[in-house]
Amino acid sequence: MYKAVVIGGSAGSFQVITKILSSLPKNFPLPVLLCLHRLKHVRSGFVEALSIKSTIPIVEPYDKETIKPGKGYLAPSNYHMYVELNKRIALSTEEPVNHSRPSIDLTFETAAQAYRDKLVGIILSGANRDGAYGLKKLKHAGGLAIVQDPNECQVKTMTEASLKLTTVDHIFTTEQIISFLLKLK
Amino acid sequence: MNRYELGIVDTRNIIKTLQDVYNYDFKNYALTFFKRRVEKIITNHNLKDADGFIKKIETNKDFFEIFLQEMCVEDTEMFRDPSLWRVLKEELFPKIIHGAANFKIWFPEVSSGEELFSTAIILKKLNLLKNVQLITSSISELEIEKTKKGLFDPKKIEVNNPNFKRIFSEGELSDFYTHENDTAYWDTSLIENTKFIKQNIIFDDYPKGVKLVLFRNQMIYYNQILQERFIKIIYNSVVPGGHLIIGNHEKIDYWNSDKDYTLISKAESIYKKKLS
Repeated sequence: MYKAVVIGGSAGSFQVITKILSSLPKNFPLPVLLCLHRLKHVRSGFVEALSIKSTIPIVEPYDKETIKPGKGYLAPSNYHMYVELNKRIALSTEEPVNHSRPSIDLTFETAAQAYRDKLVGIILSGANRDGAYGLKKLKHAGGLAIVQDPNECQVKTMTEASLKLTTVDHIFTTEQIISFLLKLK
Repeated sequence: MNRYELGIVDTRNIIKTLQDVYNYDFKNYALTFFKRRVEKIITNHNLKDADGFIKKIETNKDFFEIFLQEMCVEDTEMFRDPSLWRVLKEELFPKIIHGAANFKIWFPEVSSGEELFSTAIILKKLNLLKNVQLITSSISELEIEKTKKGLFDPKKIEVNNPNFKRIFSEGELSDFYTHENDTAYWDTSLIENTKFIKQNIIFDDYPKGVKLVLFRNQMIYYNQILQERFIKIIYNSVVPGGHLIIGNHEKIDYWNSDKDYTLISKAESIYKKKLS
């Protein structure tokens, strides 16, 4: 019933995200959109590091690339990543939001417009408030909102900001996030 | 925290108004981008909603110009992607421009001018600026005027200067600008021979005999239809063997495009127009 998963993370999220990506089945039925804060001047290396662990292919998409199931899309460094209504990626070099480019808010907000109630959104560990507003928009559009348990997060700011703004559907540990994703058909 | 959000019907009405009143066709802009920009304008100008926006823009030409300026995305830094500028400085510019006269470089949408000034500074440092004719186009007259004055936001200096150091070991970026309090100006002698063209979205006229096109991260604001139209115009503008540089997450892949262009650097998205 869900059509896509969108995940946002910042400081302290790398290990969580690699654990999630290494636990997905090879034929995971949905696309996974990843917006992770990253160093602006380090253009390469990140997608490779995620790919080593991931069971599904991870790409930094080209502009207007069609989103396909069973594939991970990592927001490229120094770009915002939007989802167009026709389920294509659109990149942007507009000004940073919450001091971030890519901004999690923008990926979540546009993914929510495109996928409405067919979207699962997950906010992980992080040191700023980016993502909180996007998760609110996702929930408002009928999507399912999940936040990593702040007690498990290396840095709680992002998850706590999200919980303050939105009544989420689940507060999950990494293990619970994984078992939830494994049940998605 | 709650921004005004534009519906799809409202967005279509706005696009129709711009077409009917000003003959500017925004329907092939990327929808999420267009929506977001208009939402920002509605919020910043206290226009309340789509109707407020339409009422104002229908009757107010000055406001239409402000709108066009808002549709040009401000470059946030000089020498974005320093690795590309190193390739231009160390390999491509010396190879293709050295000894040439009136070597035409075209920026099909110059937006806030950082690409233009980055190019001019590298050419100046290589002593090749005199060999080159820089040509820029923009949909925004206001943006062109700002670029001609060399005006830029001094907040960008903290990003610009380290980028410059990633390319040049000698000299300072401040050799090329003046900064006092809240204002900063590029040395406009860098662009004294630059030609500025005000254009509609699809060009009425475009330069011919161009040897290099720099068009990075502008087509990302268009849908595939408009992207392809731009690429075709650029193809007609560029001489055989000429170069086209686009953003590092953009690509040319329309049907049969490999008959028209060869990708010569995947890392920096540098294309070369085939000879025939």
